[in-house]
Amino acid sequence: MTSPSTMAIETKDLRKSYGKQMALAGLDLNVPSGVVYGFLGPNGAGKTTTMRLLTGLIRPNSGTISIMGRSFDRSKRDILYDVGALIEAPSLYPHLSARDNLIVIGATGRKVSRARVEELLDLVGLRERAGDRVSRYSMGMKQRLGIAVALLNDPKLLLLDEPANGLDPSGIVALRDTLKGLAASGKTVFISSHILPEVQQMADIVGIVAAGKLVTQGPLEELLTSQALVRVKVRPDEAQRAATLLAGVAGADHVSITFPDIAWLVARMPADRAAEANQCLAQAGIYASGLEAGSDLESLFLELTSPPPPPQAAARPGAIPGWNSGVAQ
Amino acid sequence: MSLAITGIRKFWTRSATIVSLLIAVALVALEFVLVGVSYHTASTQTGVDMSTYTWLLTFPSAYDAILALSFEFLGIIGLIYVATASGSEWSWGMVKVAVARGQSRWQYTVSTFASLAILLLVALLITFAVGVVAAVAGSSVAGLKMGNPADMSVLGPTLVKLGRAWIALVSLTSLGYAVAMVAKSQMAGIGTVIGYFIVSIIGPALLPDFVKEIFRYLPFSISSDAIGLAGPPGTAPATNAIDPNVALLITLAWLVGLLAVASLSVERTEITN
Repeated sequence: MTSPSTMAIETKDLRKSYGKQMALAGLDLNVPSGVVYGFLGPNGAGKTTTMRLLTGLIRPNSGTISIMGRSFDRSKRDILYDVGALIEAPSLYPHLSARDNLIVIGATGRKVSRARVEELLDLVGLRERAGDRVSRYSMGMKQRLGIAVALLNDPKLLLLDEPANGLDPSGIVALRDTLKGLAASGKTVFISSHILPEVQQMADIVGIVAAGKLVTQGPLEELLTSQALVRVKVRPDEAQRAATLLAGVAGADHVSITFPDIAWLVARMPADRAAEANQCLAQAGIYASGLEAGSDLESLFLELTSPPPPPQAAARPGAIPGWNSGVAQ
Repeated sequence: MSLAITGIRKFWTRSATIVSLLIAVALVALEFVLVGVSYHTASTQTGVDMSTYTWLLTFPSAYDAILALSFEFLGIIGLIYVATASGSEWSWGMVKVAVARGQSRWQYTVSTFASLAILLLVALLITFAVGVVAAVAGSSVAGLKMGNPADMSVLGPTLVKLGRAWIALVSLTSLGYAVAMVAKSQMAGIGTVIGYFIVSIIGPALLPDFVKEIFRYLPFSISSDAIGLAGPPGTAPATNAIDPNVALLITLAWLVGLLAVASLSVERTEITN
């Protein structure tokens, strides 16, 4: 049994590159035991690379990994007996049934009993279709089976990469309840996801990674409180002047232009000062076409992962705003 | 061992397994039936050496003929099948799942091949049994006295040859396995197998003598020699023929070497798919 003070995952200065492409540039993760940890980041930020390192699929260039208090590298594979993982898409034999997939996969690593297989088929709601070939399954059913595979060993640490992919609303609710239940029973759930509202409902602690580095980490409530934001949308040609005006209200370092091409301005200031910000702009003849106040995970994510706007940034014809943000260069 | 037994489950239920086996069985059966059917026509023509027909359709010599054909067909089909099946382990992400569950990489590599080797044994036994029935049928169609298939003095050595044929088959298919595991791709495995097969057929005719000598020790040739089969009457053994026992040792060395290459490659590789 892992003691409450033990970190389920601890990485120090973890670095990994694929050729010249730096995927992780010194990642320091601290994931306490018994929590749901939301691991967030834009595409190419290093989330899947982190998952692969935590399961010994790849080797780090440098840095250390500790899992449930034990130093981990590929030679200590027995540590993985207590880890369950769903990395990227679920990996399954398409010609086998769900039951046979669980039996065959359960023969690897620490062996799994038939009773556990049946228990998991019930848990993920595949009992009635357990004998069907997986090639006939929908994406959501495959995802459920992938989650069952991750749970085969009754792991103390569960690593899930986009677990809600393809799940229908009832599946998402069931997943959320299951994961919260696991955390309540002392297990640690480490989720990488792009569905931010979903993570906001589940996670106790959040870590946000961008360009291979952790940009923030901490209890979700604390992060949201500290990151009170007011977002204002103005005409692009007025963005610079509006930013200067808002800096007078929120402070010079607290205003940024998130997407220059559509001119969303983000001011780090309490939500109840949104009206004040709007009034300030209106008095200068700038009328906001959009105004949002308050903190949510999405705002926090965008604020922390958007790259600083390049000078004289010009949108490419046909480019979709935000699609270049955060992708590791 | 339990991993290898469970592995049989995942391969046996693949349609590719059944189709591959059916093709091999059909080719062997067809060969004997066609020989039986063409016997009468051939016997009326002058200058046709009928001893090959007799060798194929009468026992005990038919056992060697059945084994030779089973090995040839299963060798080619088995190579492609093994490359396909092992490549799928990568393309379906199953190596990733096993390693992430704490499974030893080399154990997974060896036990997966062990599953395939067991399936090859089953395939060889089925093909051989069907070949015996087809030879009896061919003999009957040809109107030949088929001899005594149950002659105990022949069955013993035949069983030994069957065992040697299995080892030869396993060694040969380990080539496709090693390529697919190193390249992490079934297409690479299949492509190499087909390329190698073509070169091993065409190469000896076109290449200088010292290269031909090397070809004799490569998997397809050496594994064939390792079975120790007698050819049709009138085919004198080559003066420089490799002793079957020596050939068997070299075949085993290929098997161990290729499995070691596959295991080392999987042990060292970074799993990103």
